[in-house]
Amino acid sequence: MTTLTVGEAAASARPATPNRFLAIIRLHFVSPMTTIFLPWMILGFIFLVNLAIWAIIFTSVPTEADRASAQEGLSWSGASFYIFVYMTFVAIQAINLTFPFAQGFGVTRRDFYLGTSVYFVLLSAMFGAGLTVLSLIEDATGGWGLGGHMFTSVYFGVGEWYVRFVLYFAIFAFFLFLGAAFAAVYVRWRANGMIALWAAITVLIVAAIALITFTDSWPAVGTWFAETGANGIILWSLVPTAIAAITGFFIIRRATPRS
Amino acid sequence: MNPVVEVEGLTKRFGQLTAVDNATFSIEENLIYGLLGRNGAGKTTMMQLITGQDFLSEGSIRLFGENPVENARALAGVCFVKESQKYPDDFKPKHVLKSAPWFFPNWDAEFAERLVADFRLPVGRRIKKLSRGQLSSIGVIVGLASRAPLTFFDEPYLGLDAVARQIFYDRLLEDYSEHPRTVVLSTHLIDEVSNLLEHVIVIDEGKIIMDDSADALRGSATTVAGSRAAVDEFTAGRDILHADRLGGLSSVTVGRLSPAERSAATAAGLELAPVSLQQLIVRVTTSTHGTTNPDWSEES
Repeated sequence: MTTLTVGEAAASARPATPNRFLAIIRLHFVSPMTTIFLPWMILGFIFLVNLAIWAIIFTSVPTEADRASAQEGLSWSGASFYIFVYMTFVAIQAINLTFPFAQGFGVTRRDFYLGTSVYFVLLSAMFGAGLTVLSLIEDATGGWGLGGHMFTSVYFGVGEWYVRFVLYFAIFAFFLFLGAAFAAVYVRWRANGMIALWAAITVLIVAAIALITFTDSWPAVGTWFAETGANGIILWSLVPTAIAAITGFFIIRRATPRS
Repeated sequence: MNPVVEVEGLTKRFGQLTAVDNATFSIEENLIYGLLGRNGAGKTTMMQLITGQDFLSEGSIRLFGENPVENARALAGVCFVKESQKYPDDFKPKHVLKSAPWFFPNWDAEFAERLVADFRLPVGRRIKKLSRGQLSSIGVIVGLASRAPLTFFDEPYLGLDAVARQIFYDRLLEDYSEHPRTVVLSTHLIDEVSNLLEHVIVIDEGKIIMDDSADALRGSATTVAGSRAAVDEFTAGRDILHADRLGGLSSVTVGRLSPAERSAATAAGLELAPVSLQQLIVRVTTSTHGTTNPDWSEES
């Protein structure tokens, strides 16, 4: 408590410190073209292309039974997958370029990372809400009148609206914070960090495969995935998301903006 | 005097390289400082350390009396304009100008507008597509309009033409006289800024080799020119900073001369010429060992 009072006394000697944590959140939204508008525009384009494909299938498959079979296949759509991967790019840019910029403005690493994290959560919520609404419309219109699936696939976008929202949110958060952790490694250790990180990931994957193989656990792994289901796996992704978010914080705390 | 920055025994190592070597100096409030030195002398590293962008190896730094690292309160008074400043990928200058007031409480939007017009900066063009000079002018505008109590300009005008550089010096001086603050200008265009500077810190191979008021430095060296014999006789026993010999003529730079010495030189038929700040710094930083005449690095 003593340190706090000393700090407050020192602060009063200078003009009030603007809240830079909030300023960072605003900073991320100041140029929304590539982070907000562009992803929706690309998604819209993919949707139109899909619509055309569904229409072609719909008209070229005459019998009801065949149509049902074709529509069953459409539910394995990966059309909206790009937007999640795009979020990794958004996160990498947000860290890699905005970090040195914010440092020039006298922002601490702590304020930068916390503000950026809130921005990621807001992005996840916004895109999650958008996709949830689209998936509900897709259901209500019987797949846009053509039995198409883009926002309701077998992996996500089924169930109650809040289930859909939570799942979408979790996926967005996963890609954003994973991207952030990777970018933090790059910002701190540059190319050497990337090489070491990928080497470590490769070793871990090979070790995991070896472990599962030597202990004859593949059936157990298969069972786990089958039992957990798509929704369960998405919820489990919150664990690596949280680990990435926390690790990213500690990595960026000692990072230096390089020219 | 009120120091805004106090550096003591500061050392920064990158592996084998010692970028800053046992540096001790302070920066007083409301003065314009020149942080001068050759490329790779350690200027940028020094400023990164003071602004908490980098981490020191040894020694101590006080920024507004506090440790700068991750110190939001101390850093709130700082604006650091870097030659190699990076901007978010899709930013246009207008985005920088829009967001800057959120970080700098003293931001003057009107002043920024005027500077944009002065520098003819296209605010709606993507920063990636700007010319080198236009890119530099964004940093200069931010550095001036932010009116941060402590502003660092690290080689701020790469690519700026002579007219734009003159605008920068003029605006800096005007605004500085109306809104006193501490400015640290790191540059190697020493002649251009020498009239602006009130205090000069010279860093060479990571060491502080000069730390003096600009006025004191201006008279601290003299070039003595004349016939070789007369010059040799006059400069015998003095520390010679630089010597040019051509045939029977000689031109030698020595340290400060007393009035008596000056009249003696004139009587001996020698010509005395002042040495500009730039020449002086070139003289003291060209040596390979960074040896200096103690006369210029007097501890104060």
